[in-house]
Amino acid sequence: MSNDANVKFRLSNSELWGGLIGLAFGGFVIWSGLKLKLGTINDPGSGYVLFYTGILICLFAITIIVSAVTEGGPTLASRWENTRWTKPLLIIACLTLFAFALDTFGFLLSAIPLMVLLLRVIDPVRWSLTIPLSILAPLGMWWILKHLLGIQLPSGVFEIG
Amino acid sequence: MDTLLNVGHGFGVALLPINLLYCFIGVFIGTLVGVLPGIGPISAMSLLLPVTLSGTPESGIIMMAGIYYGSMYGGSTTSILVNIPGEAASVVTCIDGHEMAKQGRAGPALGISAFGSFIAGTFALIALMLVAPKLASVAIAFGPAEYFSLMVLGLVVLTFLTQGSMAKALLMACIGVVLGLVGLDSITAMPRLTFGRLELIDGIGLVPVVMGLFGIAEVLLNTEQVIKRDVINTRITHLLPNKADWKASLGPVSRGTVLGFCLGILPGGGAVISSFASYALEKRLSKTPERFGKGAIEGVAGPESANNAAAGGAFIPLMTLGIPPNVVMALLLGAFVIHGLQPGPLLITQNPGLFWGIVASMYIGNLMLLVLNLPMIGMWVQLLKLPYNVLFPLIILFTIIGVYCSSNNVFDVYVMIAFGVIGYFMRKLGYEPAPLVLAFVLGPMLENNLRKSLILSQGDLMTFVERPISAACLAFALVLLIGPLLPALRRKRELVALDEGA
Repeated sequence: MSNDANVKFRLSNSELWGGLIGLAFGGFVIWSGLKLKLGTINDPGSGYVLFYTGILICLFAITIIVSAVTEGGPTLASRWENTRWTKPLLIIACLTLFAFALDTFGFLLSAIPLMVLLLRVIDPVRWSLTIPLSILAPLGMWWILKHLLGIQLPSGVFEIG
Repeated sequence: MDTLLNVGHGFGVALLPINLLYCFIGVFIGTLVGVLPGIGPISAMSLLLPVTLSGTPESGIIMMAGIYYGSMYGGSTTSILVNIPGEAASVVTCIDGHEMAKQGRAGPALGISAFGSFIAGTFALIALMLVAPKLASVAIAFGPAEYFSLMVLGLVVLTFLTQGSMAKALLMACIGVVLGLVGLDSITAMPRLTFGRLELIDGIGLVPVVMGLFGIAEVLLNTEQVIKRDVINTRITHLLPNKADWKASLGPVSRGTVLGFCLGILPGGGAVISSFASYALEKRLSKTPERFGKGAIEGVAGPESANNAAAGGAFIPLMTLGIPPNVVMALLLGAFVIHGLQPGPLLITQNPGLFWGIVASMYIGNLMLLVLNLPMIGMWVQLLKLPYNVLFPLIILFTIIGVYCSSNNVFDVYVMIAFGVIGYFMRKLGYEPAPLVLAFVLGPMLENNLRKSLILSQGDLMTFVERPISAACLAFALVLLIGPLLPALRRKRELVALDEGA
């Protein structure tokens, strides 16, 4: 870890960001609880538990923020130091593309390219293994689900699968 | 006498061919996911949760239970042969197990791990048979206040034992409660946090949340590192430990079994804690503690027995109180609920076939594991050579299919991907997902019991402290919450705090 890995009141302090996200989420939960009606202590309403849980979230988030400011915390960059951070980013991109394609193109037409991408882009596997694995794994799963378990996977606009 | 009759009835259920098949599938898959690093029992169980729908409740739950204790067995193989824990409970086995393997004693290490696990698993089942019905008869008298306090205690214990900052773990638990409350309010039927989406009316599914936080997030974390595998290549022989090995291991196996079982029952405790506690205990009791870390068989026998005994003990709070003590049991609770069953004090009397059938199947499963693990070591070693860049796309494909099958809904695949990304960033910033998932499952029950107790007591908060069991649970929870502020207790917590996630 580099020398500036532990910082106090700086925007690069990852602990500070974690606490701030928690605080914002807590605020949203409190607001949602209030909107849903708290009820009374004799007859708690739908928002009762949400409201008090929101308060707890804010309290814990403030504790994290205070600790981040007083004791410091690792920088955001140091959390990804010495890691191949582009790899998870690529997988997230592949999964996002797959999520968009799934409903439109169906399982088979989106899962096969997803497998090719995952096998070739992240830590490249040789083509002679990539092609059969990318085709046979989704096809095999689809066949088992459809013919043995009676589960229909999305077939998309082309109704393939 | 009644117990014997019930056990006989249980074996009648467990020995049905279909249940034997499900039990075998469960322990086989359990061993497989235990062996493979990067996929643990939590991912495997949530993946197979939809499959349990196709059979009877007995078959489905027998299979799920098999995956859990099977993974405890399988995890040790990877720890010993590759020095990578197959799942979190086997982390400590790496220390001496892999050292033994490097010294050419992989066989005895694997052997004692399998025998120790079998002895501990058997003890845990006998204790489960004796303790569970008695505890269930006491639990019938529990009211909503007791249930609420017990759940609070379970969550606090888990946050106390979670690695890193306790404030972060508590924050995660609270977020889990909020996520668990998404959907229709069970009392007023008012939609909460649904953002107008019809898919969220029934709440967020457990499977996409778990698969995202544990399955996808784990893959993302693993791919950013280069995983080096130091697989022991020599032929593994002499799986049966010799007389000296047995002599050295008998004490650790016995102590690990009792310790593991007791820790397994505690809410929030579990296999991971017990394996570390057993290792620490054996090292402290040893006349030659300097041998630990250099291939001491006691360092394998104790923790491996402890994690299997804990796996058996963890069934007690779920079966008798309906409260899952850890994330794995929360998934098992999901399997019960899918089949319209509610585990709790009435389960044993209303569904004796189910309860005793599951217990008996666990005994049969333990036997199957002993048979599976020893002769099939060679096959597991071959499997360990499967490179991660080929394995992870398959894990992703299986998680997508598993999540889709759990609800036949593409929306759940989106939810899983979203939780996968959230889980990755959470782990990078030091936020553990285990408290979130347990709170997610307990959240609706917690709210229900809190509101019921307030309505019944007409808003009198003293109801939680006037009832002795509830008061004791809350007092213990308070001690754990205040504890980390005291330097001595904070040091102890840091010593035992672990990652339950993998």
